[in-house]
Amino acid sequence: MRSFSLRNRLALAGTLVLVIALGAVGLALNAANQRVAVSSLQARMESYVYLVLAAMEVNDNGRLQMDAEFADPRLNQPSSGIYIQIQGRADHWTSPSSLGLQWPDLGTVAPGQGVFTEPAKGIGFFSYIYGVGWQLADESIEPYAVLVLVDESEIRQETSAFRLGLWRALGAAGIILVLAQVFIFFFGFRPLKQVAGDVARVESGQSARLEGYYPRELEPLARNVNRLLETEKSNQDRIRNALDSLAHSLKTPLAVIQAGLPLHGGKSEASMQNAVDEIRHLIGTRLERAGASTRRTMAEPVAVEPQLQRIIGSLQKVYSHKMIEVECTLEKSMAFYGEKRDLLELLGNLLDNAFKYGESRVRVSGGALDPDASRPGLWMHIEDDGPGIEESQLAQLLQRGTRGDERVEGHGLGLAIVMELVNAYQGALGIDHSELGGARIAVRFPAG
Amino acid sequence: MRVLLIEDDPRLQETLSKHLREAGYAVDVSADGIEGLYLGEEFPIDLAIIDLGLPQLPGLEVIRKLRNRGRDFPILVLTARSEWQDKVAGLEAGADDYVTKPFHVEELMARINALMRRAGGHARPLVELGPITIDLTGQRVFRGEEEIELTTYEYKVLNYLVMHPDEVVTKTALSEHIYEEDADRDSNVIEVFVGRLRRKLDPDGTLNPIETLRGRGYRLALLLAA
Repeated sequence: MRSFSLRNRLALAGTLVLVIALGAVGLALNAANQRVAVSSLQARMESYVYLVLAAMEVNDNGRLQMDAEFADPRLNQPSSGIYIQIQGRADHWTSPSSLGLQWPDLGTVAPGQGVFTEPAKGIGFFSYIYGVGWQLADESIEPYAVLVLVDESEIRQETSAFRLGLWRALGAAGIILVLAQVFIFFFGFRPLKQVAGDVARVESGQSARLEGYYPRELEPLARNVNRLLETEKSNQDRIRNALDSLAHSLKTPLAVIQAGLPLHGGKSEASMQNAVDEIRHLIGTRLERAGASTRRTMAEPVAVEPQLQRIIGSLQKVYSHKMIEVECTLEKSMAFYGEKRDLLELLGNLLDNAFKYGESRVRVSGGALDPDASRPGLWMHIEDDGPGIEESQLAQLLQRGTRGDERVEGHGLGLAIVMELVNAYQGALGIDHSELGGARIAVRFPAG
Repeated sequence: MRVLLIEDDPRLQETLSKHLREAGYAVDVSADGIEGLYLGEEFPIDLAIIDLGLPQLPGLEVIRKLRNRGRDFPILVLTARSEWQDKVAGLEAGADDYVTKPFHVEELMARINALMRRAGGHARPLVELGPITIDLTGQRVFRGEEEIELTTYEYKVLNYLVMHPDEVVTKTALSEHIYEEDADRDSNVIEVFVGRLRRKLDPDGTLNPIETLRGRGYRLALLLAA
């Protein structure tokens, strides 16, 4: 399963944080606005109390009288939402606006005290009750309570308008922030995308190292990847040189032994020749292949066609007496993703066998396996019109170190080297019969 | 035929030259590239066996220089480098064949023989000279079904003439190609060898296989059928 991308993770987390943060801000602002609206309403209700008190008179009979000039239009309009009542022990006054209003029981308060109550269950009003002690002519104090009721819809409209504006503003801010976030991700991730592209180019062999300019945070990564590539190459060269040198230095003494055997070997010549052949085979298939197979993981592509022509040119020289006709149908763009020497080794061994065993014709065909892949892979058929390889020999030939023909440097060593190479590159090798009459060797290197 | 062997390992040089001499070749040896190049340029060499890993001048350079200076005798690369990139480099530099170390002496001899034959324009190892058949691989000569016994030097003279068909071969050339550089040469001996050859190949005196061109040399008179 493909893991969730870094960009998607950040986009999801960023959006979640944004939504939560904007939501919390919205809620806080809404609550603050509500508190401001309520406290402003309370102040207004208190001012109504003072207005009422200013207009209120108590005559000598203890009857309440309101100044005729006291006229707030909302207090005169029924169901205006603002209702005032003055309660005394013997008398009371209610504003015309409270016509038909069922006054709730708000209890009593001591003179000089005010109690503000927010709407509660069953009571859809903000209420403010203020206790007043009125000094009568006889200097007695008559208690009164001024009740102010304000319909809760009074501030509901106000706060819902605010809330609507608030959410709209926060929504717009959210969209702007999300767009900004997308831009930041695009801008911020561009160097990572660049590194990924550069690594892909190194992997596909188009470049040998990471060569772009990267942000400071990515520079150590690029530097270390380049060091790793250099270390891999130098390790590989070192191992290869050591193995090459060992293989070469073993061969000359072996050649001395082998060349000296007919002169000094006597009766044991044949068995000693066999032993030397075995060592030679081991050097060819194991030691030299071990060196050659330390291929770089990120090798550059090698065009197959020119190397094939070099091998064919060389072999036509060596086998000039056979006048071999070579038919070559190869896709021009066909590339081998590996070491050039490995490609030459593969082509050399397979074509050498074809020239050696072919009567007069050799055919080479090949192409890419998946042209759209970053490493398209390749397939190749090498055919000849020689005697072919017998069924019984096929399995034996594909085993390590078996020789198909003892007369000359047989199919065995060449094919064994090819097998080692094909295995090192995770490829596949097949042998069957060609329509030309001889053997057909099929090689495939997978796309990647 | 005269073979130049450039090989820096003294043991291999000694063993190989022994085999080559036993096979009837005159052998010049060198252990380094510069001396080998000098021998290849200055002496009438018929084939060179050159190791690639030589001191002073690498084998590849020796081959290139020999070819650049117009020396067109067959060159066989003898190398411990068995990789194809080295073989191809050797062949591209001008070599005609390669043998990788270690090798079977028989295989090396077969390759040398084939190169010599090809240089002489013979695709097959059997050369027919009228009723006379020469087996270049087995170094045997037949007249009809009957084998003709030749000494080493008689065969060398015949072989050189066969390898240079339609050419007038001087006594000096014959002497240079069948003797090594430090051998004591006598051109009169060549006349003796040619005389003996004529008698052995054509005891009745009817074929006249080797024509003498007075003051110039010898030429194979019978039509060669390769």
